Amino acid sequence: MTGYTRREPRLQGPADAPAYHEWLGDNSVVTSFHRTPGGYLVRFPQLADFEISQDAGAVACHPAPSVDQATCDHLFLNQVLPLVLSKRGKLVFHGSVVEIAGSAAAFLGPSGMGKSTLAAAFVNAGHRFLGDDGFVLEKAGDGSRVLPSHPSIRLWNDSESAILAGRWAKAPPVSCSGKNRLLEGTKGRFCDEALPLGAAYFLGKTTRSAIRFEPLDPSEALLQWVRNSFLLDPREPAVIATHFESLAGIANTLPCFRLDYPRRFAELHRVLDSVTGHFERQAA
Amino acid sequence: MKLSDKVTVPAHVMSRQVGEEYVMLDLAQGVYFGLDPVGARLWQLLCEGMSLERACAAMLGEYDVPRAQLESDVLRLAEELAAQGLIEIGNPGGP
Repeated sequence: MTGYTRREPRLQGPADAPAYHEWLGDNSVVTSFHRTPGGYLVRFPQLADFEISQDAGAVACHPAPSVDQATCDHLFLNQVLPLVLSKRGKLVFHGSVVEIAGSAAAFLGPSGMGKSTLAAAFVNAGHRFLGDDGFVLEKAGDGSRVLPSHPSIRLWNDSESAILAGRWAKAPPVSCSGKNRLLEGTKGRFCDEALPLGAAYFLGKTTRSAIRFEPLDPSEALLQWVRNSFLLDPREPAVIATHFESLAGIANTLPCFRLDYPRRFAELHRVLDSVTGHFERQAA
Repeated sequence: MKLSDKVTVPAHVMSRQVGEEYVMLDLAQGVYFGLDPVGARLWQLLCEGMSLERACAAMLGEYDVPRAQLESDVLRLAEELAAQGLIEIGNPGGP
């Protein structure tokens, strides 16, 4: 099951239980998490309620009145599905992934750090991408591999104009995000096969012109993986124990770096060259 | 807290060595903690069931440090770990 059932629109009344977790944005709650007798309620204020069964096998959406299908689809794909997959035991992270020389390079960080812009720039330079906003990692032999997610990239207008320049079709606009979702515009740009993860880059500071790669100690890398994880229920001991174990394994084996670089479109080609060279040296 | 105190790691605390350090997870609170390589060595010895006293004796053979300083550092770290609920203290032979 990777979809959801759309229910009748309804007004958002008080939740039965207080929120056990909240995501904040611009000083307001953008998502709240509640336990229910049947599982979980994930609420997007003024937009939609998603009910997730205890085993995460079923998801139902109650849109708020006048909220359209495209907005519900957007919320499901970007926010709810990663949480559902985490509840099913998958390792899901907030990041974009591109292919470099047959392996996957992951760029992780909070919203607004440039993950999608980097991914789009790599695609523009001829690389394939496996995901733009979230990705699933699974164990493969001694390492890990990235599963392909969705053949689209979400960009603000300025990044779209500077990088994709109208070459990709836009998905219908949604009322909860100012970003455009660009649908794979050139066949073959989306990588629909799993690839081994070669290195992870946690996006750091904006610099004036320098491009810096700082190796992360495994303990620091572990905490970065934790910070960039999706978890539906971060207080469920059995789940976080398994999660911790998996992340410790990744942190101990995978090369992880902090990447600082100038966030200017004119510098992107230089950033791409540096990242490509750095990544290939890890594999050598 | 005394060096002769028996120390145990509660069931709700998980730890894993990552590189030369240890990262601990308090499952009850969902909070993570990190220990540098020296703290990690103490943690490793405590997880093997050693008392603070025995851990000090073992570490004296591994680090070039005066006994008084090591014992003071170990006690201070153990108190911090206990304050965070990452270890529990009991007297040897006690309940």
